[in-house]
Amino acid sequence: MIERELRIGMVCPYGWDIPGGVQIHVRELAEHFIAQGHHVSVIAPVSDEDSITDPWLISAGRPVPIPFNGSVARVLFGPIAASRVRQWIVQGDFDLLHMHEPGIPSISLLACWAAEGAMVGTFHASTPKMRAIASVGPLIEPMIEKLSARIAVSEMAQATVSNLYGTEAVVIPNGIDTTRFRQSHVESSLRWQSGLRIGFLGRFEEARKGLPLLLEALPKILKSLPGVELIVAGPGDPSKVLAKMEPSIARQVKFLGRLSEEEKVQFLSSLNLYIAPNTGGESFGIILAEAMASGTPVLASDIPAFVDLLSVGDSGVSFASEDSGDLARKVVALLRDRPRLQQLAENGSKAAIRFDWGSVATQIMSVYEVAMTGHGRVAVGSENASWKKGRER
Amino acid sequence: MRFIAGALVLLLFIWYLSFSAARLDRLHHRVETSWEHLDALLQRRAALALDISHQTDLDPATDFILLQSAYVSREEAIIDRNDAERSLSESLKFLRESARSGEVSISVRLLEELTALTEKITLAIAIHLEAVNSVAKLRSKPLYRLFHLAGKAKLPRIYSFEEDSLL
Repeated sequence: MIERELRIGMVCPYGWDIPGGVQIHVRELAEHFIAQGHHVSVIAPVSDEDSITDPWLISAGRPVPIPFNGSVARVLFGPIAASRVRQWIVQGDFDLLHMHEPGIPSISLLACWAAEGAMVGTFHASTPKMRAIASVGPLIEPMIEKLSARIAVSEMAQATVSNLYGTEAVVIPNGIDTTRFRQSHVESSLRWQSGLRIGFLGRFEEARKGLPLLLEALPKILKSLPGVELIVAGPGDPSKVLAKMEPSIARQVKFLGRLSEEEKVQFLSSLNLYIAPNTGGESFGIILAEAMASGTPVLASDIPAFVDLLSVGDSGVSFASEDSGDLARKVVALLRDRPRLQQLAENGSKAAIRFDWGSVATQIMSVYEVAMTGHGRVAVGSENASWKKGRER
Repeated sequence: MRFIAGALVLLLFIWYLSFSAARLDRLHHRVETSWEHLDALLQRRAALALDISHQTDLDPATDFILLQSAYVSREEAIIDRNDAERSLSESLKFLRESARSGEVSISVRLLEELTALTEKITLAIAIHLEAVNSVAKLRSKPLYRLFHLAGKAKLPRIYSFEEDSLL
């Protein structure tokens, strides 16, 4: 551990106003280091600058929606953003910069471009193949090389880094505040008193999150266990989903809408079984770690990210991805086997400790130390440096 | 007498059917030609985006978006190009605004070409969409559905990049 307090600059590439995995990760990591006495400044695209309440958050400008890898990313680019990032680096006088997702066209990449010194990059996404990477390879690779150390949040994200940029990254998982989930821990015996509840959380309108599969399995589950209730949390319009269901089935489904962080904790600890039927496109699966931390047994599809996450200490059960028959069988078998669920819950809460910020942030700090070796304060490169310099025009 | 009248009505009806089929065929043809025209303009836009990227001192994030979407626009089939075309529309619009307020200096020639091309594309999209909509409207009529007047021709589709406002 370095004794002195550090000046850390973090760059978030996505619009701060819309909550997403990367934004939450950056916020919680920043708050964790601030609580430890470090100085942290976060720069991010912000749509509504009046809404900023955190003194450590700086706006780089308004994000622009750009379709990217199959969904719309709210990113920020252009000369004004570049000069704001440059100014932030100069004024911050940082010991180290931590870029998140520097491989996408947004301000993390701009910070990489402008800065000289100790830099760490975290890669969150897993994209098996990015189309047309060849067209931008000569642009990104030198930027990625400037990072003194690279972090991937999962094995999947690590594979993406090595495929796309031909370089290695250390795996450090996303963090959660396990104490918050443990505080509202409800004894599993109590959870059984008010009927059987299984739960799903996510943007359920996106097919890859797997709600359609779970709804396909539900009639089969109800045939064996008629009392089961399915609680669906997350943003979206339930009426479209309900319209396609038989009334007798629909009666057993409850939609909670978007949950606050506190509501999410309560939601998880009210369930007998958490179900993650995602069909793909996941890099980490933070909600699984959160369910485990709150003592809720997890049943997840056997996509690589989830298998990886549940692999430690028998902390969850997998079913064959996109197979509603297998999903229904596993749900019924688990709900009928209380001792097994009890065991899974205990294993899960133990296994979730490795995702606690206490451990995750310590690992990240170790990476910072490596990155800072041999570097002074972070500075900006010469004012008019073009990334094309030295290339044939 | 009644027989002749019946035959006449039938003949007239058959003629009307064939007239309608020809009308629809003409509209389908118009969709194709207007699409070809639009596609050619989109290809020119992708080439221009590459030119702008090469000749302008841009930040790497802007360059990234221009290069990648121009590349996809030129290499892929239209069905996979929608995102790339939308990215190009968004990023070029952003660039033109930045150039107008003097934040980025793009050569006058490229900027004029971009402005002219954007106007042409906006017009070409409007014309193409009008053709697509007339086909869809005609094909939804009972007569056209009942007698399969469209034959095997696919219902032309609208891509979301065409719905974005380009200006």
